[in-house]
Amino acid sequence: MIEREILVTNRLGLHARATARLVQLLSTYRCNVTLAAKGREVNAKSIMGVMLLAAGQGAEVILRVDGEDEVAAAEAVAALFARKFDEES
Amino acid sequence: MAVGILLITHTGIGPALVASATRLLRQLPLRTEAFEVAYDTDSELMLPAASAALRRVDGGFGVLVLTDLYGATPSNLAAQLARIGTPVRRVSAVSLPMLLRVMKYADLSLDELPAIAAAGARNGVIVDDA
Repeated sequence: MIEREILVTNRLGLHARATARLVQLLSTYRCNVTLAAKGREVNAKSIMGVMLLAAGQGAEVILRVDGEDEVAAAEAVAALFARKFDEES
Repeated sequence: MAVGILLITHTGIGPALVASATRLLRQLPLRTEAFEVAYDTDSELMLPAASAALRRVDGGFGVLVLTDLYGATPSNLAAQLARIGTPVRRVSAVSLPMLLRVMKYADLSLDELPAIAAAGARNGVIVDDA
């Protein structure tokens, strides 16, 4: 299991389009993935789940990835957050 | 095994939901169309155009028809459509969470999708006291 803290840096936070992008990315991996923030942990492969976090810009979320392709998945998620979901150029 | 999706709604609702879902997912994995029913029209009169829309989204594995309000004219039209031969399942109270969840389970069969759609809508209702 991999656990890492990720900072939400894009201006709109984990809004619908960013969430959809994250969920679509994760659907290509087999591992289980959760995101946790403010005491709530959700399935990171569910759009409604991730949006329940209501994580805005500046929020710290904890990514937990468990499964055979966990390393690649964690890297991909961290890269997506770092790229601000490709929303801001 | 790709099911078609047909939204049958009052004017303005279906196209807006499809446009929003397309914007969020960039591309919808299932053939999807929105059919608008104008106010105060006789559903009998709309049946030919609606069945043409149904055939356009059907890829041979049936069509999931999503209506906005159970018992209203669009949903009555959907009930008539279900009797013309193409395999159809109907779910009412279409919403963006419902549509997104259906698209996420795009590889499921027509008989499995109604439960997915219903759960999507139910899970989308959050009483926000945060």
